[in-house]
Amino acid sequence: MAIAASIAVTAQRAAGDATGVPPGVLLSRQLMESRQLRVGDVVRLSAEPSGARSRLFRILGEYEPTPDPMRFAQRRLEARLHLPDILALTRPPTEANAPATISSINVALVDPSDADSFARDLAVRLPGTIAVPTTAPNERTSTFAVIERFHLAVAVVTMIGSAVFLLALMLMLVDERRETVGTLRLIGFTRSRILMQVLLEGTLIALAGAVAGLLFALVMQDAFNRFFQWRYDTALIFLRITPGVVAQSLLLALPLGIGASLIASWILLRQHPLALTRR
Amino acid sequence: MLNVLRLAWLSSVRQPGRTSLGVLGVAAVGALLFDMLLLSRGLVVSFRDLLDRAGFDVRVLATDAAPLAGPRILDSGTVLATIGALPEVEAVVPISIRSVEITSGNAVSPTDRLERVQFIGADPQARPMWTLVEGRDLSTSAGTSRPLLVNRTTAARLQASPGSELSLRGRCGSTSSVLPPLAFTIVGIVEFPFDDADAETVAGQLLDLERLCADDQARGVDMLLVRSKPGEGAERAASAIQTANLGLHVVTNEELVERFSRVEFSYFRQISFVLATVTLFFGFLLIAVLLTASVNQRLGEIAALRAMGLSRWRVVAGVLCESVMMVGAGAILAIPVGAGLSVWLDAILRALPGIPTDVHFFVFETRALFVYGSLLAAASIGAALYPMRIVAVLPIAATLRREVIG
Amino acid sequence: MTTPIVETRHVSREFPMAAAPVTALSDVSLSIGAGDYVAVVGPSGCGKSTLLHILGCVDVPTSGEMLFQARDVTSLSDADRSRLRLREIGFVFQRFFLLPMLTAWENVELPQAEAGVGRTERRNRTAELLEYVGLTKRAGHRPAELSGGEMQRVAIARALANRPSLLLADEPTGELDQRTGDQIIALLDSVHADGTAVVVVTHDPAVAARAHRLLKMRDGQIVEGGS
Repeated sequence: MAIAASIAVTAQRAAGDATGVPPGVLLSRQLMESRQLRVGDVVRLSAEPSGARSRLFRILGEYEPTPDPMRFAQRRLEARLHLPDILALTRPPTEANAPATISSINVALVDPSDADSFARDLAVRLPGTIAVPTTAPNERTSTFAVIERFHLAVAVVTMIGSAVFLLALMLMLVDERRETVGTLRLIGFTRSRILMQVLLEGTLIALAGAVAGLLFALVMQDAFNRFFQWRYDTALIFLRITPGVVAQSLLLALPLGIGASLIASWILLRQHPLALTRR
Repeated sequence: MLNVLRLAWLSSVRQPGRTSLGVLGVAAVGALLFDMLLLSRGLVVSFRDLLDRAGFDVRVLATDAAPLAGPRILDSGTVLATIGALPEVEAVVPISIRSVEITSGNAVSPTDRLERVQFIGADPQARPMWTLVEGRDLSTSAGTSRPLLVNRTTAARLQASPGSELSLRGRCGSTSSVLPPLAFTIVGIVEFPFDDADAETVAGQLLDLERLCADDQARGVDMLLVRSKPGEGAERAASAIQTANLGLHVVTNEELVERFSRVEFSYFRQISFVLATVTLFFGFLLIAVLLTASVNQRLGEIAALRAMGLSRWRVVAGVLCESVMMVGAGAILAIPVGAGLSVWLDAILRALPGIPTDVHFFVFETRALFVYGSLLAAASIGAALYPMRIVAVLPIAATLRREVIG
Repeated sequence: MTTPIVETRHVSREFPMAAAPVTALSDVSLSIGAGDYVAVVGPSGCGKSTLLHILGCVDVPTSGEMLFQARDVTSLSDADRSRLRLREIGFVFQRFFLLPMLTAWENVELPQAEAGVGRTERRNRTAELLEYVGLTKRAGHRPAELSGGEMQRVAIARALANRPSLLLADEPTGELDQRTGDQIIALLDSVHADGTAVVVVTHDPAVAARAHRLLKMRDGQIVEGGS
């Protein structure tokens, strides 16, 4: 539950507090740092913007909030209380004896694959409740689906630019060997024989390039994550190179590299050998 | 100078395939760079435009929580009167937004799960922040009992039009209201500036909203929209409200935009910066490689030109011109490509849930064009530095000798 | 006694190598006067081309003096040496080194444009030179469309573009057959006859025989014919 918290720090050791030791609270690391709090300090929490009806709590510990990619840019100033304490803090004064209400209940099933049927069953048994498996599509998943499409679109454009440049470079590299190729053709080497040679070389170069690229990406992954974790003061992982990403990269890079060298070589091999060797 | 340009041009076109590919490659990365520059401020510009079009330049909230996410403003009547009396303020409008259920109307059968819509409660006499599409506005609906405006999505789903009746029940707390539903008459169909593509939004009088939520313990209005007097400006109006010491949070449109830019839009600024940097580096690297390889293939020719008497700067300038020409041609081609690409990318991102339909992620600014041109110009010069150096320090005699031996 | 066009005084040229420095020229003194027609001969690696590069201000000696029209070249800046080459020296290379994207006309015009010669004068001079080398009808062709002999003739025309006082030719017939080579040598004879000093580096005895003076080199030194 959200508390519109205004926190006033009191460093007293509960002296004179007739009700005894204040209940415990956990504060997020960011909140502890922003208010220069320490474990053991006593703080006041209130659900009112004015700070009215506040209660004392003792800081029992500090926690690192679970990184939330939907809120990574927000400072995670949070507190965790026992449920009775938060209910007592937020209950309106005119409803002191009213039943408590909560926002949601998290359920961990013995068999997670039962989530859909459990949710349906619960909706039937308790009309008015909404039971949703955590894997169900929602605003969060559709947000990430859109972000994924965006990244894919950018990747497609980058690959097109890369492919064009790769072809240009291959044309130049192959052109440097035009006299050699022309001489081989004059000797009697067939086009296909030379293309096989090019295919082998292209495969090796593409493989070496792909591996080098992946190694570079791994280094950059670390650098990016460190930078953004520092920038946003979060433990969120922004970039992760998974085996799937590695496989995708190789499946794209290898054909691109091999294809570019084959195309460039074929353009050269189409010319007459005498034209290739003319000085 | 003309000679330098002409020779550079001829050197570039002597290998048309290679040069074309270089230009196309620059066009591809240039298009992406251009788009990332548009994205870096697009959302901010679009959001600012949206706020300004609503017609109010200051917002007053109970706390510094995001609008509609924090507590409400209590004793709004006194607050309204105080702010309205300020000389810097032209108008002040209270706004509340609650969730309501449609309990009857067209296309709602008894077995349908009750559909929720957002109800915007506002002062009917104030200049509205929505655009009338069909029918009448609230301000001209005096005499109509509980006039209601609906957006197009709601009207289409309910098959409603001006004159249709609709029954609503408040859902202002965590559960449905225990009060009976109220009947409303749709007087107009409007467009709300902050609606996303699927939003179902209605608007009515603040009084009617309060009746719908009469059993809601939390009182007050969500925010006050303030319009400063012409000639005073948002800053002065905000300052005057703060001076009135009402204990409220006052934020101008500019401050709101800055906050959203810093927090909610932060991801897009960061991703655009990262992609722009990577793209620029990629383009620089590849032009440098293309140019270096091209120069290395012509060393004998360059040494002969130097032996003939062409000065060092002359041949170096030729290399620089080649780089600028290739990047320049690609950069010009990239602009229409980038414009088309931005439309595609914008359409992808606007599918994000909750994004108002009038907000765009890629917005053209002249400033972006200038930055784009400057970056590519710098890249073309940077990419030419190494091949220029090769040419500048080329040992003429040794190169000529090597060419003979080779 | 007229001032020599180019004069070297105890010129040496060393090239630093990984193993040990290589002395390409050692204590070479010679002078080339206006109207001289000199052939430089010697076995491969004796320093002929290095000497030509020094004479043509393409390279600078490691030690010694190198004077061009009585000016000490070794103290000139790179830009000044470039200007000297542009206006006073013409180079003809074994491998022609024509710009492949320019026509024959444009190749000959290029040094004139660089020297700031006006358009009309350039046009007249270029036409004159192409006629001189017998390639008026081939003026609009690019090097790829010319034979080896034709390319070398264009190269000679280019070398003469700014009326140099000295023409340096490094193995001008090296890439050509006998008959074509003879044509090129005849052309060089004409150039000399018209008043330009000519220095030719060659392996070809027939070419050497046409010169009025023979410089024999071995191991970086002039062993016969030097001043």
